[in-house]
Amino acid sequence: MKRLMEMFLRRLGSLLATLVVMSFVIFLLVEIMPGDVAQMILGQSATEEAVAALREARGLNDPLLERYGRWISGVVVGDLGDSIYMQGVSINSILWRKVGHSIILAMTAFIIFVPLSIFFGVLAGVKEKKPTDSIISFFGLATMALPEFVSGVILITVFAVQLKWFPIVSVIPIGESIWQNLNIVVLPALSITLVMFGYISRMQRSSMISVMNSDYIRAATLKGMPRRYVIFRHALKNAMLPTITIIGMNMGWLFGGLVVVETLFGFPGMGSLLMTAIKTRDVPLIEACVLLITVIYSVSTMITDIMYSYLNPRIRYQGGQK
Amino acid sequence: MNDNILEIENLHVRFSTFDGLFSAVNNVSLNLGYNESIGIIGESGCGKSTLAFTVMRYLATNAQVEGAIRFKGINLLENSEKEMESVRGNRIAMVFQNPYSSLNPSLTIGFQLDEVGMHHQKLSKSQARKATIEALEMMNLGDPKGIVRRYPHQVSGGIQQRICIAMALLCKPDLMILDEPTTALDVTTEAVILDSIAELRDTLKMSMIYISHDIGVINKVSENIVVMYSGEIVESGPKKQIFENPVHPYTRALINCMPRGGVVKEKTKLNTIAGYVKRRGVDEGGCPFADRCDKKNDTCISKYGTKKIGEHHYAACDRAYAEDIPDKLKVRITPIARKKDPDFDSERDLLKVEDLHKIYGNKRKVYAVNGIEFSVKPHSILGIVGESGCGKSTTGHMISGLFPPSKGRIIFGDTDISIGWNKRDKETLKNIQLIFQNPGRSLNPSHTVEKIIGRTMQKLANINNAKERREKIIDILRKVDLGKEYLEKKPRQLSGGEQQRVAIARSLSISPSLIVCDEPTSALDVSVQASVLNLLNDLQVDTHVAYLFISHDLNVINYLSDYIMVMYAGKIAEYGKRDEVMENSHHPYTEALLSAVPEVDPTKQKDIIELEGMLPDPAKKIKGCPFAGRCHKQVGEICVKEYPPMVQLTEDHYYFCHIKP
Repeated sequence: MKRLMEMFLRRLGSLLATLVVMSFVIFLLVEIMPGDVAQMILGQSATEEAVAALREARGLNDPLLERYGRWISGVVVGDLGDSIYMQGVSINSILWRKVGHSIILAMTAFIIFVPLSIFFGVLAGVKEKKPTDSIISFFGLATMALPEFVSGVILITVFAVQLKWFPIVSVIPIGESIWQNLNIVVLPALSITLVMFGYISRMQRSSMISVMNSDYIRAATLKGMPRRYVIFRHALKNAMLPTITIIGMNMGWLFGGLVVVETLFGFPGMGSLLMTAIKTRDVPLIEACVLLITVIYSVSTMITDIMYSYLNPRIRYQGGQK
Repeated sequence: MNDNILEIENLHVRFSTFDGLFSAVNNVSLNLGYNESIGIIGESGCGKSTLAFTVMRYLATNAQVEGAIRFKGINLLENSEKEMESVRGNRIAMVFQNPYSSLNPSLTIGFQLDEVGMHHQKLSKSQARKATIEALEMMNLGDPKGIVRRYPHQVSGGIQQRICIAMALLCKPDLMILDEPTTALDVTTEAVILDSIAELRDTLKMSMIYISHDIGVINKVSENIVVMYSGEIVESGPKKQIFENPVHPYTRALINCMPRGGVVKEKTKLNTIAGYVKRRGVDEGGCPFADRCDKKNDTCISKYGTKKIGEHHYAACDRAYAEDIPDKLKVRITPIARKKDPDFDSERDLLKVEDLHKIYGNKRKVYAVNGIEFSVKPHSILGIVGESGCGKSTTGHMISGLFPPSKGRIIFGDTDISIGWNKRDKETLKNIQLIFQNPGRSLNPSHTVEKIIGRTMQKLANINNAKERREKIIDILRKVDLGKEYLEKKPRQLSGGEQQRVAIARSLSISPSLIVCDEPTSALDVSVQASVLNLLNDLQVDTHVAYLFISHDLNVINYLSDYIMVMYAGKIAEYGKRDEVMENSHHPYTEALLSAVPEVDPTKQKDIIELEGMLPDPAKKIKGCPFAGRCHKQVGEICVKEYPPMVQLTEDHYYFCHIKP
């Protein structure tokens, strides 16, 4: 347990370091994006004096490091600044609501695709080279090959246009919260499931196959343990380890990078917010979104690593000893 | 009811593959009595393990089985999967070669043992745990209550294997099948395990099938030997008769392949068997060994059948001593006249190692090599022997420059080379070469043999003319008994023995003066090992290169070395000329090691000095004698407190111990 704690602290340290570096990179990237913020705010018809005055007023002429310092010290205390496009509106007031929506979407998708793909992956792995395996593998490959904007359109056509079970566009009427409109989550979540299913179930299938061919499964079988017991008690835990890593690696994407899916369905989440921010050159908003996505990526990777070492006694008890 | 527990009748096992049907077990009939133990011997690919797994009914889906396997009168091949479950682990138990991978890494040892009792005997959890502890105690494992709470990776390989055997014992099976259970272990551990297996047979009265490639091991645990070749039983009978009077040419050749006590390079060349075990198609008739047999004549292609040789002694061929073909085995190689090199200066050391240390890791340190001093004379072979973890490989790797030593000096000729390879000059790199244990992994799989050898010549010997290089490569390939046709082949097209020959050719191609051989034969079959050892010996006589030959196998070391150095826990235990160390060993560890080597000759039995416990923790610095904790001759406090002094017996023979000669 002590080692686990030590590892956690070490990982936390490197996480903070990553975030500091990343925040600077994000700041720099947005900095070199074409377009002048002051010009953006005032519009094309603004006079040069007005632009210069605004630049001076907003401190845009200050040296890079000074501006970075100002931004990051705001971020640390939770002040992400104001949006430029929606003038005077603080980013905090828009961003967190959208983040909430995104989290609900991600959680829904997660609850659907994780058990589904692990179950079918295990099933395919156990029935290797049999018809069950072929069908699952084919389906997995097919969904993997279709990009989300294609499978999403198919979903919309079938479930929204034809069957009319769900709304075509995921909008929340003004004045209502997402909880009153949970049906808008379903189609985007299914779309994500289609993307992830093939990927994770194939991963689970191949790790299941390699575990089932391992010496200790042979030993367990030849101890006379029934097949079902061998699969669930001996194979599953070991076969889940690589899958957990893969799922963890995709958590960042799931919680913050759903730009395509959200845009396609018009879902009011962080992905579509980022999209709007880029389209309107809303620099502080872009910075805030990208930084948040970075945080989600790093934290989810860290959680995965810790979970992995908890599940794997070889790491849990031994550390990195060679 | 008859008196056989297991009767195998005309068993055929075939596998259908992309290349067609091939036969893995061919017409095998075998009887095993109650309380009888038979040993099955043969090279890899001979169908020994397939036979065992067929008995357990654990075969890949592409297998076709024919014949009958009657266990206590019931044909196992007709059993349902459900019925097999109640046989496996319960009435027939199996122990595998690799204990580490045979235990589930994510479950505790206790859990894996308990489930056997809970499942087969419907015991409750606490009853099962009690049975588990009893079984572990039967295997002489100290602190079984602590062991059950641990995970497999937390105990050593020897203990893992004893746990696996305990697991097989849980239901007191009638038949136990052991598939090379000690092959992956050190000799001293092997000795302990073989001893407890023999003891178990006495107490539990069970029948046993013991599969091994090593006659010496089988001698210790079985009365009868079955020799398999290419899926067929070629000879079977009591071990003494088989050893003294092998009538099948394969048996005879196999026994003579093995380096063993008294067989040394100056006197004898090891017997080799040309070629390798081929996969056989289903309808190939005749003797499977014909293509490798020294004694074959025209009748071998068709004539075939098992003959009775003596009581309980059967063989598929009795041409081992046929006189129509001259006997290669009887021709004792006349002692090889060792050519004297005019520049030979035996006084000057080729390599000198002073106070060599290697410490791995920063935070958690591992003391791998702890101050050793020795020298290698030019044109000689120094064999380093010791158990895994004794630092022998680390020493070899430091000398070849894979990594620099932590402390101490390595002097080669006149230059100090206690630095990593990237800092050494070309001349040194050329002069010290390395051959690894696993040739398949040390040759680049995407390069041809020509490129593998040629690249070394180009880089280190500056032979840039492609035509000239090719000629030299063909020349060097001929030296290692490989033809021109190998130039274009890639490593995976070669057998293990051929791969190792290519690796040897590569290191010899630039005429080095020292080759570090790190267990070059331990991944090979005995017959191939014999040919590689012969080759290494011939090349050494020819080229005057010196070897630093690292091996865990004392028989191999004894065969090839001029000098032997015994290492223990990163220290030298004993050093001396081969005969001095082998016949007049003084360090207790050397004695124990020598006693643990299984004797190939069943008439020679020796008392084993059993070493309990493990190597000392390499993460701790040891003040006293590193061997003190396991030593059977410990003299007292002084052993633990004080590092033993060097006792010089002759000019070249010394050891480190508090016991004076």
